[in-house]
Amino acid sequence: MRTSRNNNINGRNGGRGRNTPFAKYMQEKLAIAVIIITLALFILILVIYNLIKNNSEDYNKIVLSQRQADYVSKTVPYKRGDIYDRNGNKVAGSEQVYNLILDPNQMFATEESISPKNVVDPTVEALCNYFGFDPKELTDTINSRRDSSYVRYARELSYDQKTGFEALMDELNDGYIKSTDPEEGIKRVRGVWFEDEYKRVYPYNSLGCNIIGFSSADGSTGTGGVEQYYNSALIGVNGREYGYLDDETNLEKVIKPARNGNSLVLTMDANIQGIVEKYLAEWEETGPESKSAAVVIMNPKNGEVLAMGSTNSFDLNDPRNTDDYTEDELYELGLKEAVGVYRRENPDEPAITEEEVPGYFSREEIISYGTQVAWNQLWRNICVSDTFEPGSTQKPFTVAGVIEEGIDKPTDSFNCTGNVKLSDGVHTWQINCVNRNGHGWLDVTGGITNSCNVVMMNLAFNEGEEIFLKYQQIFGFGDYTGIDLPAEADTSALVYTAEDMGKVSLATNSFGQNYNCTMIQMASAYCSLLNGGYYYEPHVVKQILNSDGAVIENVEPKLVRETVSQSTCNYLKQAMFETVEHGTGSHAKVEGYHIGGKTGTAQKLPRDARTYVVSFCGFAPVEDPQLVCYVVIDEPGEPGPAQANSAYAQELFAKIMADVLPTINLYPEGVDAEDYKAPVTVLPDSEEGMNDIPMGETAAETDENGEPAATSGAAESPAVQPSTAAELNGGADAPDDPTVEGEGYGEAIEDPGEQDVPVDMPPGYSEAETYASTEASSESEGSNTTGDTSD
Amino acid sequence: MQRQSKGQASANARAQRGPGAAVETKKRRVRHFYDYSLLFAVIFITAFGLIMIYSSSQYMALINSLESDYYFKRQLMIAAAGLVIAVIISKIDYRIFRLRLFVYGANIVSLVLLAATQIMGIASHGRTRWIEVAGISFQPTELAKASVILFVAYRIWRAGFKINDPERKEVLKIYGWILIPAAMIASQNLSSGIIVVGIATVMVFVASKNSKPFYIVGIIGVLCYILRYRIVGVIEAIGTGTGLLQGYQMERILSWLYPEQYDAYQTMQGLYAIGSGGLTGQGLGESLQKLGPLPEAHNDMIFPIICEELGLFGAVSVILIFLFIIYRCMLIANNAPDLFGSFISIGVMAHISIQVVLNIAVVTNSIPNTGVTLPFISYGGTAVLILMAEIGLVLSVSNRIRLES
Repeated sequence: MRTSRNNNINGRNGGRGRNTPFAKYMQEKLAIAVIIITLALFILILVIYNLIKNNSEDYNKIVLSQRQADYVSKTVPYKRGDIYDRNGNKVAGSEQVYNLILDPNQMFATEESISPKNVVDPTVEALCNYFGFDPKELTDTINSRRDSSYVRYARELSYDQKTGFEALMDELNDGYIKSTDPEEGIKRVRGVWFEDEYKRVYPYNSLGCNIIGFSSADGSTGTGGVEQYYNSALIGVNGREYGYLDDETNLEKVIKPARNGNSLVLTMDANIQGIVEKYLAEWEETGPESKSAAVVIMNPKNGEVLAMGSTNSFDLNDPRNTDDYTEDELYELGLKEAVGVYRRENPDEPAITEEEVPGYFSREEIISYGTQVAWNQLWRNICVSDTFEPGSTQKPFTVAGVIEEGIDKPTDSFNCTGNVKLSDGVHTWQINCVNRNGHGWLDVTGGITNSCNVVMMNLAFNEGEEIFLKYQQIFGFGDYTGIDLPAEADTSALVYTAEDMGKVSLATNSFGQNYNCTMIQMASAYCSLLNGGYYYEPHVVKQILNSDGAVIENVEPKLVRETVSQSTCNYLKQAMFETVEHGTGSHAKVEGYHIGGKTGTAQKLPRDARTYVVSFCGFAPVEDPQLVCYVVIDEPGEPGPAQANSAYAQELFAKIMADVLPTINLYPEGVDAEDYKAPVTVLPDSEEGMNDIPMGETAAETDENGEPAATSGAAESPAVQPSTAAELNGGADAPDDPTVEGEGYGEAIEDPGEQDVPVDMPPGYSEAETYASTEASSESEGSNTTGDTSD
Repeated sequence: MQRQSKGQASANARAQRGPGAAVETKKRRVRHFYDYSLLFAVIFITAFGLIMIYSSSQYMALINSLESDYYFKRQLMIAAAGLVIAVIISKIDYRIFRLRLFVYGANIVSLVLLAATQIMGIASHGRTRWIEVAGISFQPTELAKASVILFVAYRIWRAGFKINDPERKEVLKIYGWILIPAAMIASQNLSSGIIVVGIATVMVFVASKNSKPFYIVGIIGVLCYILRYRIVGVIEAIGTGTGLLQGYQMERILSWLYPEQYDAYQTMQGLYAIGSGGLTGQGLGESLQKLGPLPEAHNDMIFPIICEELGLFGAVSVILIFLFIIYRCMLIANNAPDLFGSFISIGVMAHISIQVVLNIAVVTNSIPNTGVTLPFISYGGTAVLILMAEIGLVLSVSNRIRLES
């Protein structure tokens, strides 16, 4: 570049001031400066070159691994299968909810966001305004977890809350972006996202709680009911969302969808279940105070359980609520449990007593044990897990065996003198009949309709232990029914075998004392009598559907064995019809229907406590039984002879049947279907909850507060009590007898002195009785429930 | 390269138009130089910077809930405006800025703005580098750099060879004056303060005949740098003892020397980016480090992204373009009609080269981490506007160079 220059190229003669030229030395020094700069830049190029040469491969790997790690692989949760009743009402479902996840790492990611007022403060403010969090606590959480990208701050938010906050976030950020104020302009709400989750919802709260059960919060395990028994069908497989780098290091996002769990269709009818629970609650509120009451309704034609309920109910949406227990009660329960815990944890140490427990466990620990005990009490399915002596409901099976084997004919007559005396040479036992004065001459049918113990004992003596036990086995006593519910009681040790059965136990077994069974066993055995001799496995699940609603498995009725012949069945149906028509079961009558059934009043151990389990197992219509309904009430009213009143069970039965039968399109005689005015629908409206129907919570409340004396205890309701007792015990045609003391036999022992328990027990029986009540709280395994009658 | 300015030529022609004067005009016509190559180099590197900003800021824009081209668009508009300003300034005779009033005025304005930022910063309980003027946020530090260039150039022009007086009065005066803005800037942003002092030093170094003190300081500096691992303990003792170095600054020094032990996250991520680029890079737009791991990817840390996407090849190309710009500034300084023009050129050259060297040194972890932007490339409105204005001044100087006919 040739340029014209001013004069004085070199500065030696020193042009002064404004006209000083760019001197030669300046040019040189400028060149030096530029060379130094160039050198510096070349050194930096060398530095970069070395960096690349030495670390290119390592750094490349780090970058790739960072990238992959940066892409958080997320779990896509599966949806636990729904549960429907037989009519398609959803009784358990999974609702999508959202967890609020904070990403503090992202909040501090940029230079601007180091200052909390730019990102953290606006974000905290937005969260607190929208969700009402405590700002200080939230800020502390964010600051203490600065390096974390995943802080679950809130759970189970609804879709509306999620979308609402997201909209708010967008709106605020838009405002900040558009703001002209630089202070505002760099503010952001950031580092908040929502994670999907499912929450188990039971629309009918406590309805069918023992059949349905409940699942854990994450939907991976179930406790009780089909939630537990069918857990493996209900659960699905979690999906995953993840990224990987392809050949060209592009990040590929892959979503492996979750496989949702299968759904169940129950045999339960929510309407019938609702009716059952309604009357159970009514019983608990207005009836005499009882330990418990339970009802099983089955379809005798296929073993389907239509309803199964008890006063022992809990809210499936809040199963761990122990509000019904006071802290002291929990403490008491915990003391007992802690003794067992200590024994298990220190098997070599001497056992401790309840008084010593506070020395080994803190109060919190004891209460926590007590809470677990209380939960197990709450969740216990009485109908399947508890055993009891059934009493006279056994009688049809005693008769069935005798008739089937042709040992006696229905017309054979026996003279009831009020008791039977047995002696083994050392001891003498006197086993009483219901009617201490004796029924006189009765044929077999009369034995059933009058519930005569003497007739039954004679029939049993005629057939002998072997045949009696054969029929006990045929009707499933002492065996698992195989019902698809967890914790079915093991009754194998609670019945006699041919080896250990003596004459006394045969005699008492014949009318349902001295052996234990579960409600589901009894109801299933009745089903086989009513359907012509087919013993079906009882079950509560009808169908398994896949997540699209297609049927993948139909649960067909499973015929276990044939019990007795059609003619025996027909005879017994007729006999039980007569029992209700003009026998001991007259309170079970429902206007307009042909009802059959058999009463039961069992005396509990210890016999001298004079406590009873009253029951009624009935069916309708007699001509073609569609329903079997078994009602059991444990200790209604004050202990004493007044408790031995199966009318309580019969009346409960009648009320339930009157409402249930129309729901399966069986209307009272003389009423057309069109004219029939259905009772108010019982299935609670899931939207409204169950507040207007006194079940569940209401019932529990009453229990806790204790019923006022005015409504509890047989003595307080004389209008019902004396006459029913007389009728029941003596039979319809028996004269009123003030001395009648009940159906029991316990105190009929003419005891030479030594023995409390009258008969030869199966091994472990009497022991079982004493510890059963303490163990009742532990996991409901059948073996632990021995002997505790109908608790 | 030897082109004439058409505007200038026609203006001259118009001025001297007259009967019979045509031949004479042709002879006497003064042809002026205009450094188009500098202009095009600047346009090229700015456009390249815009592409890199687009590439590196997309992710950040989406994270901040902005349009993906938000940063690109903003920078594009500012760069275009800056270019227009540069061209306009280049057409104005720079000598009208030689007025004492203008030079001191510019300095006073920048001092006032710096003071205002500091007061605002105190008011809002934080350090701030921004000030809002008429709804536009503005970084007074950048203005201060430009006004310091003007100021030093003006003082040297006024002093002429007097600058070499034995007592070094003039040199000390210059340092005395520029230390005021430098200290104010350094209190908020140490690296910008260093840049201001550095620009003045390069200008004074070129202007003064005596270079010994500069060489001595330089050699001591290089020795310290070479022995940095050995003297770090001494520095720590002195620095914290006298309170010259604040705790976080000492930590920066340590994490510079031992980046892996001190978990110098940003530095390490920058190095990963440079290293993973290799010789030819991952390809334009293929950076992984910009997707989160490397903060400030479109700003201070844009050079590692260039390395990652375009490799050593791209990095060297960028450096060569800067070298070309520096070279053009040198040529203009050498040929400027007066010292004012020369030293404006030198000042701008110093400004650009110091920032380039410091930025690349920071991202390669050759010096402690400090926020220095890469001229013309890094995102930032004020910096681009001021740089463009400075380039406009240099072009204006070039336009006053008379070509020999």
